Amino acid sequence: MTKSYFSSIILGISVLFLLSFSSASFAAVGCTLNDPDRDVKRIFPESTGYRTEFITIEERGGEKLQKEIEEKLGEELDPIYEGIDTPYAYYTILKGKEVIGRVHGINQKGMYGGMQIILATDLEGKIIDLYYQKLWSPEGPKFRNEDFTEKFIGMDLDDFFNEDTLKTIEDPSEDSAEDFNATLRGIKKNLILLDIFWGGDKK
Amino acid sequence: MKIIGFVIAIVFIFSANLAFAEQALFYKEVNIVGGYSDVDEWTGKSNSLMNSIGFEDYRKFSNEYGDFLTTDLQARLTYDSLEDSQDAVGVEIHNAWLQYKLGYGYNLKLGHFDPAFGLEPALDTHATLLQTLAMKNIGFKKDWGVALKGSMEKFDYKVALQTGSGMSIRRTDGSYLFTTRIGSSTSEDFQHGLSFLYGEALKTKGMSTFPKNHLLSDEAVTKKRMGLDAQYVYGSYLFKSEVAYGQDNDEDVLGYLFETDYTLPGHQNVQLELQFQSWINDIHTSDTDDSTLSAGISYKLNENVTLRTLVAHDFNLYGEKEDDKVLFQFYYFRN
Repeated sequence: MTKSYFSSIILGISVLFLLSFSSASFAAVGCTLNDPDRDVKRIFPESTGYRTEFITIEERGGEKLQKEIEEKLGEELDPIYEGIDTPYAYYTILKGKEVIGRVHGINQKGMYGGMQIILATDLEGKIIDLYYQKLWSPEGPKFRNEDFTEKFIGMDLDDFFNEDTLKTIEDPSEDSAEDFNATLRGIKKNLILLDIFWGGDKK
Repeated sequence: MKIIGFVIAIVFIFSANLAFAEQALFYKEVNIVGGYSDVDEWTGKSNSLMNSIGFEDYRKFSNEYGDFLTTDLQARLTYDSLEDSQDAVGVEIHNAWLQYKLGYGYNLKLGHFDPAFGLEPALDTHATLLQTLAMKNIGFKKDWGVALKGSMEKFDYKVALQTGSGMSIRRTDGSYLFTTRIGSSTSEDFQHGLSFLYGEALKTKGMSTFPKNHLLSDEAVTKKRMGLDAQYVYGSYLFKSEVAYGQDNDEDVLGYLFETDYTLPGHQNVQLELQFQSWINDIHTSDTDDSTLSAGISYKLNENVTLRTLVAHDFNLYGEKEDDKVLFQFYYFRN
């Protein structure tokens, strides 16, 4: 390799790096599906494809939107794991060219570590499927069990503002109430973000 | 060289084509490593990391029928504190691949990426001080070539045919590397995989792509392997393990790794790590192993910065002097 060629590569990387400091930014890596092909096909067997999009709170409204989300959620977002520039991945599910639903996940702080809660929703924002992609809990199998996750099927964001509805969902664990509450918070946050980013679907 | 240029050019051409480039994540990276080693004394590198700046450009291309292509270009400009100033600077190309979607569950990958063997393709060790067996086992973590990736109802599989040259492309002594791994879904608490490897791999020193890292021999090593790997999450613990057995030319080799990571429940940005790994270069001859015990702490300072420290003790290093070292790392990653 010639010295000038090598110098050009170094210069290229340096310029790319320095230029990028002034660009609009994504920060931490959000919650993406480990295997979207398998998960999407399982939940939407009639689908023919999906389109991935990354959205941040910062680009859709910045601090003002963040405050709106926190008010709806009833607590502040964690600056380390739920930063304003965390990219949230949305998988728009297609049957041909027609949009038939969405799949989206969030990171949520749990009792023993992080959890990743994935929701599949129809275009009205109702939950079609729910599963934990990651769950650090000794009682993980109880949370992952369909007897628990199926209780959320058919629910939408309004249900998470209804105390009577939420009372019908029982904690499946014996000693992990904190993870149960984290699950409710995570699902609610996920639905709030869906409503804000994709609320136009309902119109 | 022409092939590397071609792959990178293709990635850039797609990246620049705004008609398709709908979604992009561009991250920048700063990695500062330093510490003290009995052998090297003050050092600015670990076994796989050097002081560096870099970037990652990850893109999804889609049309009205959905995603059809993913690209990733990840590179570092590195400084090796243990080399002379004229040889200290290098460019490492880590990821440089395109993945074309053939259909649901079928993807064709082209470029520079993980061989399909062991724990390495299931983990992200790009920035971590603790590493898997890949460097001892294969000799590198990434290689140039093509792969078919797929997923079945319960299992994922990947079959790769690569050049056997690692970070740089070389065609010497007919080198190539065939690897395949079938593993359980990465969403499960207990993940496991079975891997096979066969090929003629080149032995190199260093991680640099430009200029090419050093070729230690003109003769490729005939490698045959089978391996098992597993990860298990329980509460705040993550257990990782892998074992690989096979031959390097006519010598029987065996390697194994055990690691336990513990996340502090009350301070989940802190993780304690303990790892033991051993690579036996000839199982029929004593003292031919490379065995190291490492203990580390990882502290996520904020959304973009992680601080790590590591203490490592070599019980034996085949043909080299055992080393004790302590390392510190500042790692910044954001767009």
